Amino acid sequence: MESLKYTEILQLNKALVGTIKSKPYEIGILSNVTVNSFKEILEYSCRINKIEPKVEVGNFDNIVQDSSVFKNKDLIIIFYDVLNIVDQVSEFFEDLEVEKYNNLKNKLFTEIDIILENLINTASVIFNSFSSAYYNNNNVQVSKIETFVNELNAYVEQKKTSNISIVNIDKLFANIGFKQSIDYRFYHSSKAPYTFAFLKNYVAAIETVFLRNTGKLKKALIFDCDNTLWKGVIGEDGMEGIDMSQTSKSGKFYHLVQRIAVFLSKRGVIVGLCSKNNEQDVLDVLRNHQDMILKEEHIVIKKVNWVDKASNLRAIASELNIGIDSLVFVDDSNFEINLIKEQVPEILTIQVPTSISDYPDLILKNIYTYFNLVLNSDDAKKTEMYKQQFERENSKIAFSSIEDYLASLEIELTVVKNDKAHMPRISQLTQKTNQFNLTTYRYTESQIDHFMSDKMYEVYAMFVKDKFGDNGLTGVCIAKEDEKNPKNVILDSLLMSCRIIGRNIEFVYVSHIIKDLANKGYQTLTADFIPTKKNAQVEDFYDKVGLNLIENIDGTKHYSLNITNFEPKKVDYIKINTELV
Amino acid sequence: MENIKIKQVMSAVFDIPVESISDDASSDNIENWDSLRHLNLILALEEEFNIVIPEDEVGNLLNYKLICLIIEQQL
Repeated sequence: MESLKYTEILQLNKALVGTIKSKPYEIGILSNVTVNSFKEILEYSCRINKIEPKVEVGNFDNIVQDSSVFKNKDLIIIFYDVLNIVDQVSEFFEDLEVEKYNNLKNKLFTEIDIILENLINTASVIFNSFSSAYYNNNNVQVSKIETFVNELNAYVEQKKTSNISIVNIDKLFANIGFKQSIDYRFYHSSKAPYTFAFLKNYVAAIETVFLRNTGKLKKALIFDCDNTLWKGVIGEDGMEGIDMSQTSKSGKFYHLVQRIAVFLSKRGVIVGLCSKNNEQDVLDVLRNHQDMILKEEHIVIKKVNWVDKASNLRAIASELNIGIDSLVFVDDSNFEINLIKEQVPEILTIQVPTSISDYPDLILKNIYTYFNLVLNSDDAKKTEMYKQQFERENSKIAFSSIEDYLASLEIELTVVKNDKAHMPRISQLTQKTNQFNLTTYRYTESQIDHFMSDKMYEVYAMFVKDKFGDNGLTGVCIAKEDEKNPKNVILDSLLMSCRIIGRNIEFVYVSHIIKDLANKGYQTLTADFIPTKKNAQVEDFYDKVGLNLIENIDGTKHYSLNITNFEPKKVDYIKINTELV
Repeated sequence: MENIKIKQVMSAVFDIPVESISDDASSDNIENWDSLRHLNLILALEEEFNIVIPEDEVGNLLNYKLICLIIEQQL
């Protein structure tokens, strides 16, 4: 997107209007400078990621008041620019008396407090760091404006809640170049300081935030082999001829990419191979090449054969039980990249750049935008779990009936309620789960925190383990007391990670929760199924659980059930440990 | 050639069909030509033609013919 001209973005954005059929993602923009060309650039970035944006720009220099008006948006972006703060000062800033400096600083602190307080329950907020790059700083001494900016940034850092992402504006300025980022001509005439180059790069930088909030992040990174993981072609050049040595001139860039892949495999990213080669040749490299640091233990899935790559990548998505649009594919060949773009446009492709020294950075840039690398213990375990899933798939064959097989797994569920230790993972699951998700409401950590503290809500989390390993926290359910009828409880969210589907766990899990709600004194329960492109597999889930369908409006199904004498479903081979009261 | 490109930029920025932009187009007869869009127009023209329009000309370029003239000078 950074390479497109503004005029092109306007044209492309206009062509995409109305093509995305989903609930609009509501974005509010608050600013103390003019950012009116930002709207279309942001809209375009949303639309190419299949998000339908509804952008509203607040009044000029009205951040504090608008933060209250806009607080229910899905995302709020705040441009609180130092330029227009310093302009309120009638003195030369470096000459500002201590008292005036402190007054200004305290005024800003108070404003920041009010803004953060207003937005405390907003799903997601993007706040820019304050920058002193605008001023011709003394490079060998700390200037007053630098101190001021540092104090503001430290204050925001200290006060920010988990729904706030801070964009480091100085890093952006450094990447683009300050003179390419700021145009003083239009700041002085219209208070519009930012160039198109800045706004385009800014949108690229925050893309990851709205991808995360809308469940559009990627899950798997699939590499070709020849000239992608090493220089050379194994089938032609042989073990001696291929190069990924840390000490060779171009081999070191492949070495670095392998290191990145190893790192990602430990951060919950599924790393795989898809290559046209003799499988034995590639296995030989993985097992026996001295410079190979990416090993079989890091690789969850590989398709090394002579089948076309579009079919192989489709097979990879289906075997991993993830959406085809969760894949990223890296290849050096123009032909293969174009084939995938043509045949499976949902897959994000990265072509190994001709200038090989740019290769590791290109991979990292895509990683930081499209993957969630938040390290929690569950993520670290995920590579291990996907591998166990394959072992399970393989052992399926040995049993005559699926029931026998499931019984052999020794499945154990643990359900906990309102446990704040699990907030990050619960929020992450609401944001990432697409398939087994009845309503697909996305929640941030701070919203989950709020629900757990609110007596009207119950937040359930389920842990699953079996003899092959621990799947960790893989199920979430949020129940909410009906405001209009305190005897009725609403299942606001019900979701499970797709890794554990197909073992009847879902029935035990949901009926257990319903029983718990009945024990709390609720007499009736209502629940909705809201269809999306990806959750068709659960469209009749509530029917199977035994809820009564009340109405079906354009696919959105409303259910209810009298739960006073509810008997939870039991499955012999699933043990349930409960810590519910 | 430049003249067609200018009209395409104007069409995108003002969100109106390119055919509706006559040679007499000006801020008087194009409704969407307000001060904020004028700023975007100038930046978009600079980006399109890789030029810098002098600061004191910016405020004057309120019709198509003047824009053509200044871009010709800058190229």
